[in-house]
Amino acid sequence: MKPKRERYQNRIELLQGTLDMLILQTLQWGPQHGYGISQSIRGRSGEVLQVETGSLYPALHRLEKQGWVASQWKQTESNQRAKFYRLTVVGKKQLLSEQTRWAQIVNAVAGIMSPQS
Amino acid sequence: MSLLNWLLHRRQREEELDEEVQVHLRMAAEEHVEQGETAEQARTSAIREFGNATLVKEVTRDMWRFRWLESWLQDLRYGLRQLKRNPGFTTVSIVTLALGIGANTLVFSVVNALVLRQLPVEKPERLVFLQTKGGGISHSFPNYRELRDRNYAFAGLAGYRISPMSLEVGGGANHVWGYLATGNYFDVLGVAPAFGRFFHQEDDRLPAASPFAVLSFDCWQRRFGGDPKIIGATIRINRLSYTVLGVAPRGFHGTELFYWPEVWVPMMMQPLIEAGNPWLDARTTFNTWVIGRLKPNVSPAQAEANLNLIAADLAREYPSANKGLLFKLARPGLVGDALRGPVKAFTTGVLGLAILVLLTACANLASLLMTRAADREREIALRIALGSGRGRVARQLLTETFLLSLAAATAGYGLAVLLSRLLSAWHAPIDFPVQFDVTPDGRVFLFAFAVSVLAGLLFGVGPAHHAARGNPNAVLKESPKGRSSGRRLALRDTLVALEVALCFVLISGCLLSLRGLQHALTMPLGFQPRGVAVVGFDLGIAGYSEEQGRNFQRRALEAVEHLPGVRSVACSNSLPLSTDQSYSGIYPEDQPDLSVSDVHNAVYYQISPGFFATMGTRLIAGRDLNWHDSHNTPPVAVINLAFSKQILHTDSPIGKRFHYGHAGPLVEVVGMVEDGKYWALTESPQPVVFKPILQSYNSTTLLLVRSSTAEAQMVPPIRKAIAELDPELPLYSTGSLEQMMGFAFFPTRTAAVSLSAFGVLAIMLAATGIYGVVSHAVSRRVKEIGIRMALGARPAQVLRLVLARMGALLAAGAALGLILALAGGQVLASIVYLVSPRDPLVLAAVTATVFILGLASCWRPARRATKVDPMVALRCE
Repeated sequence: MKPKRERYQNRIELLQGTLDMLILQTLQWGPQHGYGISQSIRGRSGEVLQVETGSLYPALHRLEKQGWVASQWKQTESNQRAKFYRLTVVGKKQLLSEQTRWAQIVNAVAGIMSPQS
Repeated sequence: MSLLNWLLHRRQREEELDEEVQVHLRMAAEEHVEQGETAEQARTSAIREFGNATLVKEVTRDMWRFRWLESWLQDLRYGLRQLKRNPGFTTVSIVTLALGIGANTLVFSVVNALVLRQLPVEKPERLVFLQTKGGGISHSFPNYRELRDRNYAFAGLAGYRISPMSLEVGGGANHVWGYLATGNYFDVLGVAPAFGRFFHQEDDRLPAASPFAVLSFDCWQRRFGGDPKIIGATIRINRLSYTVLGVAPRGFHGTELFYWPEVWVPMMMQPLIEAGNPWLDARTTFNTWVIGRLKPNVSPAQAEANLNLIAADLAREYPSANKGLLFKLARPGLVGDALRGPVKAFTTGVLGLAILVLLTACANLASLLMTRAADREREIALRIALGSGRGRVARQLLTETFLLSLAAATAGYGLAVLLSRLLSAWHAPIDFPVQFDVTPDGRVFLFAFAVSVLAGLLFGVGPAHHAARGNPNAVLKESPKGRSSGRRLALRDTLVALEVALCFVLISGCLLSLRGLQHALTMPLGFQPRGVAVVGFDLGIAGYSEEQGRNFQRRALEAVEHLPGVRSVACSNSLPLSTDQSYSGIYPEDQPDLSVSDVHNAVYYQISPGFFATMGTRLIAGRDLNWHDSHNTPPVAVINLAFSKQILHTDSPIGKRFHYGHAGPLVEVVGMVEDGKYWALTESPQPVVFKPILQSYNSTTLLLVRSSTAEAQMVPPIRKAIAELDPELPLYSTGSLEQMMGFAFFPTRTAAVSLSAFGVLAIMLAATGIYGVVSHAVSRRVKEIGIRMALGARPAQVLRLVLARMGALLAAGAALGLILALAGGQVLASIVYLVSPRDPLVLAAVTATVFILGLASCWRPARRATKVDPMVALRCE
């Protein structure tokens, strides 16, 4: 029996662009369905980032409209039908550019927030 | 994703979205079960964690393409459902608006047909009609020839004249109307024949040497059965043989929009067509209408200048005929400006009033919509509270109004098409072939569409904005702030006041037109039209010489005189207030050298003795003409009072003398009759001279018979009597004298009919509008009235409460309407002849009507207010 999860506490508002980047990054490791993506983001951020369904699904459909992900209905391991999203070639390029930009932002913010000069 | 793709896969996408959500919930529930919850608990937790599934789906859908189209279709479906749920409101709205749009479309299609439409020829905008500066529309034929040969500005100048003829078809002679046209007529117009060919310039060189004819399409179909062998065949016109060259194309009716001739004959045949009156070389007979096609790079101003240079030359060369001659160009189709001016003023005036009717309908509808929106306050408040944007709500209300206006536009356009077909088929009640083609074309359709869109915006925007503005919190809590009462009625009040004002203007138009009609029907005409039967024939086109014709006229008069019931008979070449009026220039004895511009023109009639008795015209001085006044005795004439005053400048003209035309013989005045109306009902007194037929013969003969028998029953015996004298003489213009004058009353009658229709519409609209508003106000305040009555208010006080506001609005609306009616007097005057638009009697009547209308509309709701049972009112809501 897994330990009971805490109630949703630290809900960090994720900017739309950042959420897109996280989703693309998650899909880098293979196609995944919506629930799986939200679990993945949650797990890999150490339970800090818990994406609302009200943000996740609109984001997924938006990414699909823009052509960065593509969707397909497949069978899961437990033989259920689910909608899997996968990264497209264009999406991969987009992810790379977003990673670069993110690194820039992180450095910039760190430069301001650091205790030295 | 393309639009097609989107349309085809809408349902599939919705299902997939649902399934995706379900899958997520299921997986989340499984997770909870793994953590030790029961299946039931797990499901509940999963749902709770997911959040508002509907909202999630909604936001997700917003990410899809063509979202705007989707929501717009949603609005449409919802709107249709709402309208279907209130069939009463929907029907009333559509009918109201359809009448408004239909009226406007119909009037605009008349405007389109008469004022905007061009002749069906090649490049019609390059055609111009020649007038003289003083407004004269006809020219002498020699002048025309000079203009044609000497000008530099025109590619071609053609002359034409409306001409009655006798056409023999299948053994019988028919009186038909046609054109005498110069050889280049069809070439100048740029028309191609439907069959055969037209005559050209070279066919029209020598007088009486070109017996050709061109038939109109309708004539060919109707009289000759559409037989293709008619080309080259011989037909008989005025008892002479003519060869048919060709048939004009369908829809081509010559150069005047309202006159639909049956046959064209070359101008050189004039001496045979109008036997006994050849004027092709007469410089002082102005019978030719001239139309021209401008050369490609010449402007109308340049052409006018060129023509006036020639005019100056003509005035020098032939001063007696052409002194002071100046030309002006006008648009062809309605006899230059002579008819175009009044027609334009009339139709645009009526269009203005039709627009007012539409505005009233829109005000009515806006008020209705606001009422309905007030009833849907809770629904709207709920939707806003649940998260719908205000813009979305307003947009949805607007969609409903556009559905209404589109439906109304379709119905209105259909109605207008129907009525315009009827109007086009209508034939003026005279022998002259007047017909209009007012069926709507593309321009009219665009107009109807534009009007419906504007109407929709007009009556939709206000209520939509008003409704979406509400405070949902207050409405849902039913606090008094949320209810529309007191100040919130401001917009609806203005609408009602506006409606009353518009209604005022329309009713005043209606009453003025009716008064004008009454005026027209009872005004002194200078003769008594009732009781006189008329039968007409043209001896010239039937082949009679002057001698034979005179003889026949005398014998016809004698034959008819002895019919039973006949009191008096006479004949004349024309009737007052008919379309055929002739003028002659008068030179008084002491002023033989007046210039063309100074000379007075008098209308002349060539009458037999007994004319005045038959017509019922009063002889003021001197004597009537008698059979002794023949071509052996000195020329005499009878004149009217205006002639005596304006031309002879005397009150006792008996014995005075004058000339017809510059070089005519001296004529002595032997009698004077009262003034009357001759050209139009609105004219001021004009001089008239009556010539005896024995001294001045005219082959056109109208037999007038005053009898004690009804006119319709008098006609057959007269026809029989004439037929006994000449069985092959075609008769026309048969009927009562009142019928012959029908054309003179046409504008007044039309104005009365259309303005009355508008007035009735306006009354209906205003009545329903006021009723609706007051009714709604009462039902809204039922609770308040109940409390007041429970506390002891008397019915009179309740009435005052309910009606005070309405009374103030009525007064405001009437005042505004009065100002509008007075200000718009100019427009009304162009429609309503014979009456001043500031007639105080009419204005008083209108004010009274509006107040009665207002009170009558308030009556039932007000009574309902007084009958409120306080207990019932307080209990229910």
